[in-house]
Amino acid sequence: MPLEPILEIRNLSVRAGGKTRVSDVSLSCQAGEILGLLGPNGAGKTTVLRTLYHAVRPSAGEIRLKGRLQQDWSRADWSRTLGALVQGSGLLTGLTPQDIVGIGLRPLGLARMDQQRRTEEALSLAGLTEKAEQNAESLSGGELQRCYFAQLLARDPEVYVLDEPTNHLDLHYQLVLLDEVKRRGRTALITLHDLPVAKRYCDRIAMMQSGTVSRSGAAADMLSGAVISSVYQVDAGFSGQAFSIEGPLLRPQPAQMLRSG
Amino acid sequence: MQARFPILLGLSLLALAAVMLAGVLWGTASLTWGQRAAILTGSGEAPRGLSLIVWEWRIPRVLAMALIGAGLSLAGALMQTALRNPMADPYLMGLSSGASAAAVGAIIWLPASVTAVLGVPLMAFLGAGAAFAMTLGLSVRRGEALDPLVVVLSGVAISLMFQSLTAFFLYVGDPHATRSALGWLMGTGAGTEWQEVPMLAIGLLAAAAAAFVKAGDLDATLLGDERAEALGVDTGRLRLLIFFGTVILTGLAVSVAGIVGFIGLIVPHMARLLTGARHQRLLPLSMVLGAAILTAADLLCRILLAPEELPLGVLLALFAAPPFISILRGVRRAA
Repeated sequence: MPLEPILEIRNLSVRAGGKTRVSDVSLSCQAGEILGLLGPNGAGKTTVLRTLYHAVRPSAGEIRLKGRLQQDWSRADWSRTLGALVQGSGLLTGLTPQDIVGIGLRPLGLARMDQQRRTEEALSLAGLTEKAEQNAESLSGGELQRCYFAQLLARDPEVYVLDEPTNHLDLHYQLVLLDEVKRRGRTALITLHDLPVAKRYCDRIAMMQSGTVSRSGAAADMLSGAVISSVYQVDAGFSGQAFSIEGPLLRPQPAQMLRSG
Repeated sequence: MQARFPILLGLSLLALAAVMLAGVLWGTASLTWGQRAAILTGSGEAPRGLSLIVWEWRIPRVLAMALIGAGLSLAGALMQTALRNPMADPYLMGLSSGASAAAVGAIIWLPASVTAVLGVPLMAFLGAGAAFAMTLGLSVRRGEALDPLVVVLSGVAISLMFQSLTAFFLYVGDPHATRSALGWLMGTGAGTEWQEVPMLAIGLLAAAAAAFVKAGDLDATLLGDERAEALGVDTGRLRLLIFFGTVILTGLAVSVAGIVGFIGLIVPHMARLLTGARHQRLLPLSMVLGAAILTAADLLCRILLAPEELPLGVLLALFAAPPFISILRGVRRAA
């Protein structure tokens, strides 16, 4: 008998601004599984994720986390269980990377020592230890993305929702940070544009096109030349097999500093 | 920044205590040290007239100025967070223009007997409330979250409307009433009464308590709406709460002292520079600094041209210009 999925989206539709953004999408993640959501720009990937952190309300369908309907959760409990790395810009005057991670940890109600330890570990993982007390406004786009990634890693929710986590990140940090998510064995739902990255991390992949899931399956099947060329409208020769990132990171990671799952 | 905070707050509290004491000891009437001591200790040797000046005029005035300075700074800090705009101030939603039109209309048009019963303060409060309701009404769309930019633009539109009304009242009013209305428009601590102090204090305490409870959510809002939502914050509701808090704080302030500008814009910036943007530290420091600065400005207004009084707006605008320019340069650099 198959296990009950930890995250389940059933027949989800979203209408916004008079347009149907997403229609009849069903997805599910088993605990510990990494599900990639791929597809061309404007396919509705981000909209699906936004329903998961309450930024947009579904017009139809249901979302279950650990078997319970979304509307039966309190916002606070939901966001402690399902954490998201999202797009968006803020007013960062007077905030440091340390503050940004701390803001994410505050709802968890941790003891001061624990909070400090988690902050330091996450910032070190993201390579921001030296900039921990700098003005966040002075960070580059990539550094800021690492900072928000660090916030999520410090929160360490049961389910990670990552909206284009590799945005602005150089290859090194793409691998360091996503490796950490995988190492922790957490469930993750990720939107990606980078096919080699998808190949390295995703167990399964769902392809979205014009607001619906057009096909889904094991990552290896979805990244075949035929699927890629049909979904992205490109020549089959230019496909997921163009190159791949395999094997461990070249630079040894300070594994003893990482917190286990 | 964290470690520095207790020291900063302590120093600001000391400064506040000092300017409040100075505000009681000095003023338009000059007293000798012996008289001051006698009046404050309540000994029978104090001349009754001077005792009245201190106990019935200066002390409630100093208290009111401190409460208004704290309230406007708190409202300004909250608005800057709600709209994620460093140039936001408490009057942004048309509050000052609504209050002005109502108050000026009352001063110029209503017979003195009616104004005496209803009171200019109440009229001003209602005017601010009406402008707020109209701004919000223009900004709300069914089923959608409040868009900060739409709120700002609606506020501008409502402000323009009320400003033309105020200008009309001033133009047609008789010169004597116009002068009194102008004094109100530039803000003044003159004529503050004891009965106004508890009202200001209760409004400030309630708003500050609510803001401290929500400090974590306010922090999260700084990161952007999407990120705050992902951290479990209902940004739409929080923003509405902030707007209501701002109306209470600002409405009470204008009803007692007229339009006191710049405090709500500049002080939160000073506090943010000193202690960072986390609200747990930002809000208390803003409030104490705002209280101290407005109390000091009011004292200067009383003694610079004594026995004449300057309106608060004159001094505040003078002091606010340099920091305002530096904020503007900062914003341009970040953009």
